[in-house]
Amino acid sequence: MSIDWTALAEIGLVLAVGLGLGPPLGSYLARVYLHRPAFGDRVFGPVERLLYRLLGVAPSEGMRAREYLGGLLLVNLLVGLWVWVLLLTQGHLFPTPPGFAPMGWDLALHTAVSFTTNTDFTHFTPETSLTEGAALLGLLIPLFLSAATGLSVAAAFSRSFFRKDGTLGNVYVDLIRSVTRVLLPIATLAAVVYLLLGVPDTLVSYVLAHPPGGAPFPLFLGPVAPWQSIELLGTNGGGYYGANAASPLATPNAGVALVGTALMLLLPFAVPFAFGQMVRRPGESYPIVGTMLAVFLIALGLFLFWETPAHLAAAGGRFASPIAGSFQLTSIYTNTGATNLTIGATAPLAQMDLFFGMFTQSTPGGAGTGFATLLVNLLLAVFIAGLMVGRTPEYLGKKIGLAQVRWAAFILLVHPILILLPTAITYAGGLAAFPPGSLPPLCSQGYCATSHQFTAILYEFTSEAANNGSGYGYGADATLYFNLVGSAVMLLGRFLPILGFFMIADGLSTQESQPAGSGTLRTQSVTFAVYLALILIIVTALLFLPVIALGPLGQIGG
Amino acid sequence: MAAPPIESGARVPARRVSHTSTGRVLAESIRMFDPRREVRHPVMFTVWVYFVFVVVFTLFPGLFPDIRASYDPVYCVAISLILFLTLWFSHLSESIAEAQGKAQADSLRGIKTGARACQVLPDGTLRKVPSDTLHIGDTVEVRAGETIPLDGDVIRGAAQIDESMMTGESAAVVRESGGDKTSVLGGTRLLDGTVRVRVTSAQGESFLDRLIRLVEGAKRSKTPNELALDTILASLTIALLIVILAFLYIAEAFRSLSPSLVNIATFIALLVSLMPTTIGALLPSIGISGLNRVAKANIIAKSGKAVEAAGDLDVLILDKTGTITVGSRLAIQFVAADGVSDAELLTYSLLASGSDDTPEGRSIRRLAAGRGGQAPRLEPGTFRLVPFDAHLRMSGVVLADGTEVYKGSIEAISAHAGGFPAGLRARADEAARAGMTPLAVVVSRRVLGIVVLKDIVKPGIQDRIHELRTMGIRTIMCTGDNRLTAEAIARESGVDEFVAEARPETKIDLVRREKARGSLVAMSGDGANDAPALAQADVGLAMNSGTSAAKEAGNMVDLDNDPTKLIEVVSIGKQLLITRGALTTFSITNDVAKYFAIIPAMFVTAAGTIAGGVALLNVLGFTSPKLAVLATLFFNALVIPLLIPLALGGVHFRPRNAIELLRRNLVLYGVGGLASAFVGIWLCYQAFAWLGAQPGWVPVVGWVAQHLAGGV
Repeated sequence: MSIDWTALAEIGLVLAVGLGLGPPLGSYLARVYLHRPAFGDRVFGPVERLLYRLLGVAPSEGMRAREYLGGLLLVNLLVGLWVWVLLLTQGHLFPTPPGFAPMGWDLALHTAVSFTTNTDFTHFTPETSLTEGAALLGLLIPLFLSAATGLSVAAAFSRSFFRKDGTLGNVYVDLIRSVTRVLLPIATLAAVVYLLLGVPDTLVSYVLAHPPGGAPFPLFLGPVAPWQSIELLGTNGGGYYGANAASPLATPNAGVALVGTALMLLLPFAVPFAFGQMVRRPGESYPIVGTMLAVFLIALGLFLFWETPAHLAAAGGRFASPIAGSFQLTSIYTNTGATNLTIGATAPLAQMDLFFGMFTQSTPGGAGTGFATLLVNLLLAVFIAGLMVGRTPEYLGKKIGLAQVRWAAFILLVHPILILLPTAITYAGGLAAFPPGSLPPLCSQGYCATSHQFTAILYEFTSEAANNGSGYGYGADATLYFNLVGSAVMLLGRFLPILGFFMIADGLSTQESQPAGSGTLRTQSVTFAVYLALILIIVTALLFLPVIALGPLGQIGG
Repeated sequence: MAAPPIESGARVPARRVSHTSTGRVLAESIRMFDPRREVRHPVMFTVWVYFVFVVVFTLFPGLFPDIRASYDPVYCVAISLILFLTLWFSHLSESIAEAQGKAQADSLRGIKTGARACQVLPDGTLRKVPSDTLHIGDTVEVRAGETIPLDGDVIRGAAQIDESMMTGESAAVVRESGGDKTSVLGGTRLLDGTVRVRVTSAQGESFLDRLIRLVEGAKRSKTPNELALDTILASLTIALLIVILAFLYIAEAFRSLSPSLVNIATFIALLVSLMPTTIGALLPSIGISGLNRVAKANIIAKSGKAVEAAGDLDVLILDKTGTITVGSRLAIQFVAADGVSDAELLTYSLLASGSDDTPEGRSIRRLAAGRGGQAPRLEPGTFRLVPFDAHLRMSGVVLADGTEVYKGSIEAISAHAGGFPAGLRARADEAARAGMTPLAVVVSRRVLGIVVLKDIVKPGIQDRIHELRTMGIRTIMCTGDNRLTAEAIARESGVDEFVAEARPETKIDLVRREKARGSLVAMSGDGANDAPALAQADVGLAMNSGTSAAKEAGNMVDLDNDPTKLIEVVSIGKQLLITRGALTTFSITNDVAKYFAIIPAMFVTAAGTIAGGVALLNVLGFTSPKLAVLATLFFNALVIPLLIPLALGGVHFRPRNAIELLRRNLVLYGVGGLASAFVGIWLCYQAFAWLGAQPGWVPVVGWVAQHLAGGV
């Protein structure tokens, strides 16, 4: 087996850039969310003040957990409804592409929910079912908003560890500043880079291509470069094309894939650094980043090992390079969900690897939410480790009591329930929309085919529950059943944990912070980081190994 | 427990489970199968439900037509048996812990008497009444040889009281009206004198009653920590239940592939062995035995919460006298004035201290005698003793010839003698600066020299304080002494902070200040003055000899009256929490091996091979699926009795800092849990397989094992 050293070196470089930007970007994020003087105040300040005045927001007003959460849900609901209505009426409002296939109410609902929840699972082909108007006036809003929601959740959660007056900040201010200070500038920069690398950016929705000796066909264009930059930066994953990043126009060359990889890693790894800065203990970000990074790098290494170039060629056609593999794994592990491979055609063990990233949701997970999820795991680890050193567990001087543990356990429970219940009902209930013929010819019959069908359904709901949004690549899932169940899974998978985060933050934000002594468990230590990673891996494996055995592992041999 | 050696010798008798209680433990462990009791512990209750289900399934497979196909009576009986063992082992650990408490309760209950008491009626007349008709505020008279009916305060008289039945301490204690030594316990016996006691506790609420209830565990409610851990364990159980149910449901669709896949008993075995049964089974006994250990140290904790809080302490407020120092100053040096011989100084020091029966006085006599000092024998009637006078601040003797021999503070003697030799004063000041107390000896207004007294720090206290610092606990010494003395003792004992010239309200200020900083504070005390501070402190250890007010206010009472016990309580509290954390980690890491044993076994196809990539998981190389399941389940059950000693005794705890503790426990219980399960399950499997190969040896077991090894 020849190893593509050049590609691996490039991947290494991109990871170094994406991760190396974490600490400075984290410091910047901390300034943004602590309202400290920061680069760009003169430009953004007046814009933000104007927006506050227009919206009637008092920026100095601190909100308690319930109020903050209420505002967050309201904004998300309004945006979701707006997108749904726009998708239903787009055929009458905007010029339609050739071969336009309008969305039914359920598909439009699934799409609206999908984009609002940062999932971006597409049960449709954007080229034919999405008008440019609905894309730019509709779906583009949640591309920003859902990322801003994730960042605001992380900011509010972080504040609960150093505040004691019960307030977590102002949700409207956080959302607006996330967009103006973070998402918009970086996405603009990235869009320019994409342009230079040859990604199209035009308001022309398509041109007719005339292949020699063939019938002319529409070559769909549009604002692909800016779309793709926010889609990846905000860990959304909803591509401009149905083939997502596999489309030659979305990923014209390996450089684009490499830039995309760095873009996806940027925010998920910067948020924990921002947390360390916000709580004024930069060292506290190390166990979090360390755990994220360790699991991520191991997963990446294994993925490239299992998904050999030959296999990559089978799964991705054009992309028989580790660069494609690292883009794919990064996309899944950051819960972006952009795909440049047919996941269902990757090696079974590589599939298992991808599943693991969606099961943990936090290595590094989506922008903001991945961090928050890992923080909840950390609180549980602190609880058990705290007992092991003989103290009532505390983190950053805040006691981890019954209320915090109860909600942390709630968050822990949500994920397996949302994945396994619909999977079991769908599969065993014979509701599978994956006819055997639609499966790849990896294995011919019997057990393997059954495992493959099962994996397809497991993947569907796992991707939705984790707000990942990548598709398995086979099957007709744009049915009423999958649209409705999927919408419910995505909504609950997004907002139940967020509810949990705020309930935990509520208890913490009213607590006096205790001084640390030498009897206090020091969380900024290698020992604790190892413990955290161990607990995360074991508990995740504990919950999901049985279905992994039925699914990906069952595809091996036959 | 390494830190403070707890002597359990001649204290409250019957601290161990005797032979007679073995039967009781067994009976109790069977009674615990009652679902109403089982339901208190979510993890074990789940196991109980599965056990009942498997038993019903085994006996009446016809009730479950859908899954009857996988019915194998021998296998099902084996699973039921192991599930029974799992539950029973858990009950056993709890009932052993309870029995230890009960044994104490029984010996205490023996003290309670239905005796009659002599009540003093408001008009002053005496009346014999049954002691169980007394109320708070009633006054009783108790005479020598009688038993005090209920807890109370002595309001008149003084007496020596035998408290050995409560404290195990054979020396009698003196209780008298007024001051801080007024409180008496119901159940203790008067050795001499007559006292009047005002009852301070209601029937059934006396100290003894509470003690009995406490050790019996009747009043034991779960602590917030226990509840939180229970929540984690319960949610893990629920999550696993969902995982396995979904698995079972999905596997129905895979039925054609593997008959063993859909065996209901196997699913339950998987579920039970994955659930955190180890910690779930041992959790109740860990809590009970924590209280037992406190009781064994002759401390009565009013709640389990107080014991846990002890493990969390940040600050200990310690009295200098009695806690850090032996409680009295001892003579260590004589310095004679110029022109005075040592012998002369020693002689007059002996004379001056002749009437001083305080520990200080005794220590001066002892040191002087040890240095060869000799005092003339004084004939009775030829001298006049001058006891210590708070106004003059000196004491001594006036001899027959009118010679006045005094000793006292430098200032007092200086005033008495009308001057003080400069050289001697310099030596005295030097001693005072070093935190010692110089006393001058004067004869006929001529200063002979000084005796230097020193507060003696208790042997070993430096090590204790060092241990506390290692555990991250700050110590604050509180004393009424002047700054110099306090500083010297603070330096010698190694406390982190001290407060000199403390007034009675200093302690409460200290407690408030530390609590405002967010620290958890403990203190000990006995006086009525201490009561508010004891009540404010997170852990207040009251001395049994102290006032009722102090005992009411504190959340722990030390029967031995040893304030140093605070340090032991800290260790016990930490040990309790560590045991829980360690066993939880053990439980979780143990699960890894169980997956590798059971999951491959569930995917064995009709052809006897493991289907698909699941074979990759079969690292243990098991070939018989049923034996693999039984071995895993059996190991899971076996771990419980093997860990009972750990749960009852607590994990080994030596004071060290948090990160070292975590590293050590992580290796021991995390990695240990990971490795032991692989080894243990492999051994169980090999043992079962070996039994299966020995049909002639143990016919029944052999037959079962052979049956299971053969049948897929």
